[in-house]
Amino acid sequence: MSQSLRPYLQAVRSSLTAALCLSNFASQTAERHNVPEIEAETSPEVLLTPLTIARNENERVLIEPSINSVRISIKIKQADEIENILVHKFTRFLNQRAEAFFILRRKPMKVRECLFPSVSESPIVALAQWWRTAGAQEPGGEEGYDISFLITNFHTEEMLKHKLVDFIIQFMEEVDKEISEMKLFLNARARFVAESFLTPFD
Amino acid sequence: MPHGPGQARQPQTDNTLDGSPILPSIIQSWHLRAVIMLLLDYQNVLIQNILAERFSGVPPASVDQTVSDFDGVLFHISTPETKTKILLSIQIRCFRDLVKYGAVEVLQREYGEYATDTEPGYDFSVLIDLEQLPEDRDDREALVLKFALLKRNAMAAPFEAAYTEHYKLKEEASQYTSEEAPKGVLEGGEVMSIHYREEEAIYVKASHDRVTVIFSTVFREETDRVFGKVFIQEFVDARRRAIQNAPQVLFRNDPPLELMDILGEKHTGSGDVGYVTFVLFPRHLTPQRMPDVISHIQTFRDYFHYHIKASKAYIHSRMRKRTADFLQVLRRARPDTEEKERKTASGRSFRVQN
Repeated sequence: MSQSLRPYLQAVRSSLTAALCLSNFASQTAERHNVPEIEAETSPEVLLTPLTIARNENERVLIEPSINSVRISIKIKQADEIENILVHKFTRFLNQRAEAFFILRRKPMKVRECLFPSVSESPIVALAQWWRTAGAQEPGGEEGYDISFLITNFHTEEMLKHKLVDFIIQFMEEVDKEISEMKLFLNARARFVAESFLTPFD
Repeated sequence: MPHGPGQARQPQTDNTLDGSPILPSIIQSWHLRAVIMLLLDYQNVLIQNILAERFSGVPPASVDQTVSDFDGVLFHISTPETKTKILLSIQIRCFRDLVKYGAVEVLQREYGEYATDTEPGYDFSVLIDLEQLPEDRDDREALVLKFALLKRNAMAAPFEAAYTEHYKLKEEASQYTSEEAPKGVLEGGEVMSIHYREEEAIYVKASHDRVTVIFSTVFREETDRVFGKVFIQEFVDARRRAIQNAPQVLFRNDPPLELMDILGEKHTGSGDVGYVTFVLFPRHLTPQRMPDVISHIQTFRDYFHYHIKASKAYIHSRMRKRTADFLQVLRRARPDTEEKERKTASGRSFRVQN
């Protein structure tokens, strides 16, 4: 594990553990509904300040907590065109299997637009909104994240919280490894293929 | 080395009228091939198999099969009149181009005595009389191979023309020093274009010191384009690194200068089209090496795309495996809910009453 990866993962791990403090919370806007507040975004007062942990400009994690759900978005390292394609293929592959993963969001988060600008009734709400949008703005503001997870209180009730955190961390570790291994494979194969085609000319 | 799921050249079949045991033998042979072969065959394996079986002395049976090959080439193998006379026809998209560069002569030379009236809807036909086969076993095998190479031979015409032209130009150029040679000699002959696929073509150009073969190739999607770039980069580098005597390979997205006159302005710089140039040097252009070089270079496009697809398939299977691993990790987060069966002291178990 490289020198900067360990503190990065450690930071994600502790932030995530702290954020995964969820309780059941019925919707305040629709009777007899119980929805992840971070997705519904109907009650600004139950949303907490989002947090971005960045290892460098290409790798970062966005944690958006709320009272009954946490959304985690990961930007995977992509150094060049090949990694770009591989990451895209891999995340698409996972997203299509989101059902099996329970906590995987079908679509990754893009950069957040300004939230419901018109509904702000009280100064407190407006302030909360401002915090949220300000916190969620990305430094470069570019294309957003590659993969997102959504953990609700129902997940934490059914599953062990520390194991969920383990999963996210392990995912982050292995996805990088997998991408670079696939890239190495591709290069090795290309080299072998090219040489065996050209050898008969020799 | 590449552990991609290999698949050797396996043409599709339909219309198998006689229930002969061709299929198992094909499967067997391509399994073998998948293990040992990386390069594609020059001949059509299915035709080879059918003919080998017919030639082996089994009682004559009627055959009617359509066999497809790379680049939209279609074969039809049938026994229209009697069971002992097999008609083999080939349909090639670019046959008109090939005729322009002497395909008819090449095919006449190769199949002279077997050539027959062309079957309607096809471009060239040969008729094989099973009663007049050579006696010797090896001769028969050679004959089978010859028919299986029908596509290769048809496509070889422009390349052979280029070889001939190269010898001629070399002869002419040797009379001059490089400064005073007339323009035509140095620049070389015209560019021959073979539109062998809908949007792709091979261009062949001979000059006094080289023969240039240019493949234009289209990438259908972004992944293919990126993978193709990786592969082609290795083709370009291979000469520098390992195989000094290989033909020079060049790649660019806009048409090479040789093609400017033909393509004009219409094909400039769209990212999906790539031009791969092979420069064959005099050491590849000797008459002894001609047949092999021609066969080999023809397979380039298929070989290239086949390995791109194979890499994609391998990466896909890899992702599948990795996803299963992730699921395994996630499953660990679920506490064991399985309740152990509880028993009384006497050994009877409780059962929940529904």
